[in-house]
Amino acid sequence: MSVPFVESVLLGAILSGMPVLYAALGEVIVERAGVVNLGLEGVMLMGAVTSFASTVRTGSAALGVLAGATAGGLFNLILALLVVTRQANQLASGLALMFFGAGVSALLGAPYIGSRIAGLNPLQIPGLAHLPYLGPLFRSDILAYLAIPAAALVWWGLFRTRWGLSLRAVGENPAAAYAAGYSPPAIQYQALFLAGLFGGIAGADLSIGIVKTWAEWMTAGRGFIAVALVIFSRWHPLRIVWGAVLFGGAVALQLQFQARGAPVSPFLLDTLPYLLSLGVLLVWAGGRRHAAPASLGRVFEGTK
Amino acid sequence: MASAHARIPRHSSARAMLRATGLFGLAFVIFAAVLLAAGKDPIRAYRDILSSTLVDRYGFSEVLVKMIPLMLTALAVAIPSRIWLINIGGEGQLYMGALFATWAATYFAALPAWELLPLVAALGFLGGGLWAAISGVMRAYGWVSETISTLLLNYVAILIVSFFVFGPWKDPESANYPQTAEFVAAARLPTFFGTRVHLGLLIALVAFIVYHVVLTRTRWGLEIRAMGGNMEAARRSGIAIGRYVLVLMFIGGGLAGLAGVGEVSAIQGRLRPSLSPGYGYTGFLISWIAGGNPYGIVASALLMAVITAGGDVLQMAHRLPGSVVNILMALMLFVVLARRRVP
Amino acid sequence: MRQRGPHPLRVLLVLVTSLMLVVITMGGAARQANAAPPALIVGILHIGSVTDGGYNQAHAEGVRYMQKMLPGIEVIEVENVPESADAERVMETMIQRGAKLIIAASFGYLDPALNVAKRHPDVKFEHPSGYKLAPNLGTYWANTQDGFYLMGMAAGKMTKTHKAGFVVALPVSFFLANVNAFHLGARSVDPQFETRVVFTGTFLDPGKEATATNALLDQGADVMAMIVDSPITVVQVAERQGAYSVGYHYVGVQKFAPKGWISGLAFNWGPLYVRFARAVMDGTWRSEAIYGNVASDYLVIAPFGPAVPASVVRQVSASKQAMINGQLRVFMGPIKDNHGNLRVAEGQVLTDQDYGKMDWLAEGVIGQPR
Repeated sequence: MSVPFVESVLLGAILSGMPVLYAALGEVIVERAGVVNLGLEGVMLMGAVTSFASTVRTGSAALGVLAGATAGGLFNLILALLVVTRQANQLASGLALMFFGAGVSALLGAPYIGSRIAGLNPLQIPGLAHLPYLGPLFRSDILAYLAIPAAALVWWGLFRTRWGLSLRAVGENPAAAYAAGYSPPAIQYQALFLAGLFGGIAGADLSIGIVKTWAEWMTAGRGFIAVALVIFSRWHPLRIVWGAVLFGGAVALQLQFQARGAPVSPFLLDTLPYLLSLGVLLVWAGGRRHAAPASLGRVFEGTK
Repeated sequence: MASAHARIPRHSSARAMLRATGLFGLAFVIFAAVLLAAGKDPIRAYRDILSSTLVDRYGFSEVLVKMIPLMLTALAVAIPSRIWLINIGGEGQLYMGALFATWAATYFAALPAWELLPLVAALGFLGGGLWAAISGVMRAYGWVSETISTLLLNYVAILIVSFFVFGPWKDPESANYPQTAEFVAAARLPTFFGTRVHLGLLIALVAFIVYHVVLTRTRWGLEIRAMGGNMEAARRSGIAIGRYVLVLMFIGGGLAGLAGVGEVSAIQGRLRPSLSPGYGYTGFLISWIAGGNPYGIVASALLMAVITAGGDVLQMAHRLPGSVVNILMALMLFVVLARRRVP
Repeated sequence: MRQRGPHPLRVLLVLVTSLMLVVITMGGAARQANAAPPALIVGILHIGSVTDGGYNQAHAEGVRYMQKMLPGIEVIEVENVPESADAERVMETMIQRGAKLIIAASFGYLDPALNVAKRHPDVKFEHPSGYKLAPNLGTYWANTQDGFYLMGMAAGKMTKTHKAGFVVALPVSFFLANVNAFHLGARSVDPQFETRVVFTGTFLDPGKEATATNALLDQGADVMAMIVDSPITVVQVAERQGAYSVGYHYVGVQKFAPKGWISGLAFNWGPLYVRFARAVMDGTWRSEAIYGNVASDYLVIAPFGPAVPASVVRQVSASKQAMINGQLRVFMGPIKDNHGNLRVAEGQVLTDQDYGKMDWLAEGVIGQPR
């Protein structure tokens, strides 16, 4: 009956890693465009509540994911308005966005608490679902299957398209990008909307994929972990996948250890994702400014 | 995060203050529309908020209680920001201060109050200061931006506190509940006038005065201001920037640590994981909307404290859900953040 | 850095004074509008959201019931009150608004409630923990251990793998006692029964609860139980994986497990709150530790699910009766902990008072009570 340790940890890693993976994929896009969104937590909450409510209303999980993504994208435009149009401080604006998302999502979600939905269900891939060790990879829901393609898509978009080039140019040096004929504000708006879509999907994965319920503050800090993951990945979408697996693995391992009665402090294990991120930055400290987009955190002053 | 470019804009005149007041007014008008949409009477709501916070003796004392950690954590952000350092780590530094203070209060419990209290406060300062200094060192050597490291270390600090209160420091008399034993009376910060307003208020005010005087009246402050004006020029004129990074981070973190001391020693009387409802982050926001200006920090801390305390009243008298407080706070911040910059 | 403005404080002062004037002028008008004063004002503080489908909602619904039964009562309610400096302020404000009975509905409100109670001897306080008393602070809870023992019996009868999983927020003594009671109940019908415990460290993190549930099911557990704010996540995940579940706090959770539902414990605080309010109004309120049991009207055993055979239901009911009659005790020695130490000697029986000091897990429970 019982599932082998490795498979169980893998399954747990997928479960706990997926929402932060999607959120971090969104965050890497905006950070590459020179914006930090500390309000990811609020974006995820908006995605989670909207997708749950729409799934309750329509009965369709697909529509739920769509609604969650849209809500996340639109919600991020508030941040765009603040930090791009009004050139407000990014970190403070992000934190304000988090408070706003927490409040609004709690109001919207209250009527739906206790509702039952089918949500996103696991799709078994015949022949692969029962492979030893790797089986759990092929018993996941659609969002888990799409995670690696999504990471590849973000990578392709950022590093292999003209749009990605212009986006990174804006993140590195907005004045030069402007001189080269790009419109930094327009690109940052696009980046924030796209990132919001990913943040919304992350919330949807949590509410209608993993737990199939809505609760206030159900993200429980995952938005901040996603920001840490982007740093850990040194602003590279494909490395985010490893970071998410590592983070999810740490959570899963911690719970597994407990369930097996191993005497490991869950609190100390929980510090791992943060210390690892810091450790990676320290190790790469000699490198080219940790590959961080140069203008990150700076507000583009305009070159008119 | 190239923090060197993101500096806190500084207000230059009373006119700026007046404009800020107008902006807060605008936020209140927007929230009034929200209340109207929810079928509530906004004027009554605002009147109830004010009558239970600013014009009521107890209510005002509690606003002060709430302001203490907010002012200290805001200073923890404002001081390093003088040389463009971004400290988002107030929350973690507060927790570390509380942890060190608790250790002192437990380990030296036999000392008389006049020896124990300064020790508790000093260790709290040290705890928060050292935690921030970790980020300071990493920044001074150019390894990791302090913005990132302070943010990451917040979580680590809270988890370390959890480790101690769930494990080695758990009070055996508290039904296995995660909290330490109660502090001895000698380790409790004195409170005034039969309210919960504690010595932390004086400490915070002294910190404000020192902050102001050092910056405007001393050679050291002039050097900091020179650096704040132009990092590169300061380096060329031979100022040891690394040392300033370290010292300002240490002082900032220490003040956040003192906020933690106030919460454990004066308010809670023991260390528990639910020490702070995000004071560090609110303090960060306060410092930014105040532009690092000492008066602005006091005013914004007052406003945040009134909103939090007023939120109770909105729930009690107007049957609004608790989440509405978050919305009010966010609207306020949006309006202020989106303001047109004063040149 | 530039010349700082000389008068920002004055601006603030002008603002505050003018606002105060407005308040005072409007205050007069409002006071006349007040209708007849309520017979009693009850204040209640919640640690989380009153619509959490769990712990907080149960308290909120209890207050709703009280209001329905005693229409002259006014309730002032504040949710999401952190167990930090804020709790004391909220209670004081409630008292200022006329509250004479305050229900501080979370364990961590105990210290603040004791502080406020000392300052207001005329206000009565009730704290749900069964832990500490003060002259004007009573405590109430129920012997959930008896209930969990019965749930364990049913689980022991239903399991095929002889393993249960338990998702618990914190290793608090009363929770450890619940886990142990559940386990002892299961062992009374299935001597090889094993209970695995995972602590999530928080009362609300549905994502972590789902992962923990999966981890436990993967280790062969086919019955899930939980002590977190809302049982919805654990019950749903168990149902999807074809496992049985035992609920806690919220009776409505049953609909999430049409197949695997065994039964559950829930609090129906309404009748008790009516009693508190009546006693305060009559002047008969006393500071006491109310400790209900499975016979009380406010500790409810949820209906059994369709999967549970009638014979099991009968056996559980018989044991419940035996508990009420005092023939069956949950913690009857000898009981060893999971490190092999004898915790309850032969012939010794643990009582309610001992549960608050429990820091061990019984033999056969896998987990660390850190």
